[in-house]
Amino acid sequence: MSLEILGDVLRLTVLAGLGAAGVLAVLIWKRNLATRVTFLRFVIQLVAFAAIFYIFSYSALIPMLYELIVLFALTIFLGRFFCGWLCPLGLILDIETLARRALKIRHRILPDKLNIALHKGRYLIALVFLLTPVILWMLDPQEIMVSPLMAKLLAGHYRPYGILLDPMIPFIVPWSNTATLNVVGVNFSYPYAQNIITFTGTEIGVILAVAFVATTLVGGFLVRRVWCRFCPTGCSIASVNQFKRLGSVPLLHIDKDEEKCTKCGVCKRVCPLQVNEVYDQKGGKIKTSQCMLCARCVEMCPYEGTLKLKLGSKTVFKSRNWLKPSNIE
Amino acid sequence: MDLGTQRVQVVVLKDGAVVARAFAYSGFDPTKAAEQAVDEALRNGHLKLSDVNHFAATGSAMDMAPYANSKVSMMGADAKAGVFLVPKARTIIDVGAEEARAVKCDEKGIMVDFVVNERCAAGAGAFIEAMARALEVKLEEMGPLALKAERASPINASCVIFGESDVVSLIHRQESKPEIARAVFDAMADRVSAMVHRLGINPEVVLAGGVAKDPGFVASLNRKLGLNVIIPDNPEYIGALGAALIAATRVKGGA
Amino acid sequence: MKNETVERKFLPEMPRKEIDELKNTVKTASQKIMADNIERMKKADPHRPEAMKYFDEMADLFGKRPKEIAAEKEKGKKVIGYFCLFAPTELILAADAIPVRVNSGWYDTSKLGDRVVPVEVCPVIRSTIGAKMIELSPFLEQSDALISVLTCDGMTKLSEILSDVKTIWGMNVPRIKDSTQSLRFWSDEVRHMKTQIEQFTGNKITRKKLKEAVEATHRATKAFRRLQDLRKGNPVIMGRDAMLVNQTFLWDDKQRWTEKTEALCDELDKRVQRKDWVCPPETPRVMVTGTPMFWPDNWKLPTLVEEGNPQGVIVADEQCSGERVLNDPVGVDEWSMDDMLNAISERYLMASTCPCFTSKDGNEDRINWLLNKVKEWKIQGVIYYVVRGCMLYAMEYTRVKKTLDKINVPVYYLDTEYTREDVGQMKTRVEAFLEMLNARIDM
Repeated sequence: MSLEILGDVLRLTVLAGLGAAGVLAVLIWKRNLATRVTFLRFVIQLVAFAAIFYIFSYSALIPMLYELIVLFALTIFLGRFFCGWLCPLGLILDIETLARRALKIRHRILPDKLNIALHKGRYLIALVFLLTPVILWMLDPQEIMVSPLMAKLLAGHYRPYGILLDPMIPFIVPWSNTATLNVVGVNFSYPYAQNIITFTGTEIGVILAVAFVATTLVGGFLVRRVWCRFCPTGCSIASVNQFKRLGSVPLLHIDKDEEKCTKCGVCKRVCPLQVNEVYDQKGGKIKTSQCMLCARCVEMCPYEGTLKLKLGSKTVFKSRNWLKPSNIE
Repeated sequence: MDLGTQRVQVVVLKDGAVVARAFAYSGFDPTKAAEQAVDEALRNGHLKLSDVNHFAATGSAMDMAPYANSKVSMMGADAKAGVFLVPKARTIIDVGAEEARAVKCDEKGIMVDFVVNERCAAGAGAFIEAMARALEVKLEEMGPLALKAERASPINASCVIFGESDVVSLIHRQESKPEIARAVFDAMADRVSAMVHRLGINPEVVLAGGVAKDPGFVASLNRKLGLNVIIPDNPEYIGALGAALIAATRVKGGA
Repeated sequence: MKNETVERKFLPEMPRKEIDELKNTVKTASQKIMADNIERMKKADPHRPEAMKYFDEMADLFGKRPKEIAAEKEKGKKVIGYFCLFAPTELILAADAIPVRVNSGWYDTSKLGDRVVPVEVCPVIRSTIGAKMIELSPFLEQSDALISVLTCDGMTKLSEILSDVKTIWGMNVPRIKDSTQSLRFWSDEVRHMKTQIEQFTGNKITRKKLKEAVEATHRATKAFRRLQDLRKGNPVIMGRDAMLVNQTFLWDDKQRWTEKTEALCDELDKRVQRKDWVCPPETPRVMVTGTPMFWPDNWKLPTLVEEGNPQGVIVADEQCSGERVLNDPVGVDEWSMDDMLNAISERYLMASTCPCFTSKDGNEDRINWLLNKVKEWKIQGVIYYVVRGCMLYAMEYTRVKKTLDKINVPVYYLDTEYTREDVGQMKTRVEAFLEMLNARIDM
């Protein structure tokens, strides 16, 4: 047992080391300030993807509930940082965006009213997601023939929490005895798909799951980060920061200097989630639960020091005159 | 030295007190007029040219001043002199022949803000002169005449030129001269008070310049501003006095 | 394009002899004024940077640049003139045409404009009309088409007046800047303008060409900002010199201008290292805000400030003939045609601080600009410059004054006209203002 743990720790260390090396490489190599953070974020997303894949697939060490607790604890300090920098489903959607850009297809924007409606309505959507499996199971408690690992993940009494961790379900799963799609010997899975299949019955479930996958993939291709606008995980962790008592905790947030802002609107336009608050609010800490702290707005703001990514009161990254060649920080 | 458009005024300051004053009409040669005025002032004060430590010039023709060691803006001079004469003064209105100014200052006489009437003679002495001609009244009589009136005739005083023809038609309509005179001063006071309001009124308010000697104008201005302006002695010398005061500081501490 | 058979709506027919006579008189006078201005600028700075020589040359509006443009026209290039900073010059560049700003800065032609419109009309408009009447401006004459952005009353009617003799396209600017409908509307106008330019020049604006145009403008913005940043510290360049450099961009070849400005900034960097200040660091630092001051005749005010006694130095401005020209870059996210056009529309509409808009927050963009400048360029006094007839700038004075009063920065409202006769009066006011600033500094 202890050897196993040692082995796991070693593997985690190597992974962490590789990740750190990748981050450093980006920081040194990528001088162009207009895309530096984007690259950095991409690298971190890949690292996170690998790490989460590892945790889900190989490590029986960390029960799901603990993962959830870590996630929520992180959110107290980092806000929706998870969504922007760690979430694997987010990575998938970002890769789709890259593909779209390579093909020079223009993205679609959701009308503001729809975006706001989704933003407000997502609590409802989250609730539906959370309660449906519970209700279904209560209505017809059936035995679910899945592997012991899947049973622990999905059918154990942690099931509702499972919904919240669904975005982290790896795209490629090493196990085959669940309703995953097997292509040339590789098992593919998809967030939420397994849940849909499990809780609506196999045949209808498969159809629904395919429909769900298709919609989110197609939607994600044309609309940037479409799922993130009403993701139940996102909304639940965002609600953590709404507690007033946590207000004094140093929080990762976007900060705006009103006097330097020329209201040019670049921040609003480049935001993948179509967040308007950075543009609309008059300076200070930007209060929004929609922002996933990808810092694209800070990157693209063409006026020095107007937008800053701050942790508490320390500036982590600020908007630069990206026309100026940068010095190494 | 204050080289204005109509007259040159000179004030000699010795040990912080005024010892002599003189003026001369500018005419076509303000420099010569200034020299004459300086001559006269020095004679009155029993002084010689070489006794003077520092000459400071102000006024619209200040660049033509003789003997000048330095220049002072008219607004700066007004502020300095205003506080010297009336220590509590914080707003100084200077109405000259062709221009009206208002200056806001602090307790040391340093100007903080100023406003000038823009290219319009209807808020300056030239207006009274033109109207006096139209009414066929002597300039000095306009004031006392206006004080006799209970009301002001309606005149369209958007411009000095139109004002003159306005006066003629008013006379035909049997409006009395006092009432017309008062209307003239009211119109001027309107202009000046609008200008002062743009600056913001900080009491005490001092009125200076040649027009300050005219009781008709003072009465109208008091009415329009809603307070009583303080008029120092020899108000037309305020520019020259201010220049002299600043000249004194420049001798002590250097320019 | 002159069309003798069509009846003119506004402009009078003038005999050729009169046109030529007036043109030569005004041109000669103007050349003298330009030379005189440059001489004074040279004298003001004994160690004037070598790089300024290029800009002095370019300042001659009748000299090298019109000849260059004429040569380009021979090769088939089109020239598209514009009046307002809202015109999307990147589109013009991408269509291989030459953009050139054609606002008139000549005092003498405004009297000619009085024959067509009343004297209360904005003097810039009157002067432009006059310049057209006597065919004075080489750039205006060389323009094959004009883009007129309908921002203020003057501009609105100017496009009708000039349509008598020129192809002129109007671009609708929404009066409310900050709303989704306005942006959509303006985006449509920009896309429509793109089509018009393509049809007119016969060149398609491809994604690649537009990208190049945007990037060329980015490089120019970089140089531009570098110059303005150098004015933040102790004065290394006279305000008039910097203003000339800023304005030269409006008619010069963009690439070359960028190179020359970078060279100028390199020289100024060395001056900073040598601590070679162009005037004493205690000189009052002035910012000018308000209506644009076009070369050459409008150098009246800067000359008074910088050659006055006491002397001041202009270190910043908020004018569409000055620092507003290139300060804001086009923020392109994805370099697709659609995104570039969106970015261009947004940059030209939303970053603007022109008072022609109405907003609930009272042109806060302009206020923020002024406040930021005051802080970072350490401005000690602001001259609010308005040419008589400009209602928009005149009406915003109260707002600006209140804001600047709160941070204890003196602001002086200076109104003037397209005339040389008020220089005397202006001098007394400007000198009084500078005296006041000096007194405050001493305190």
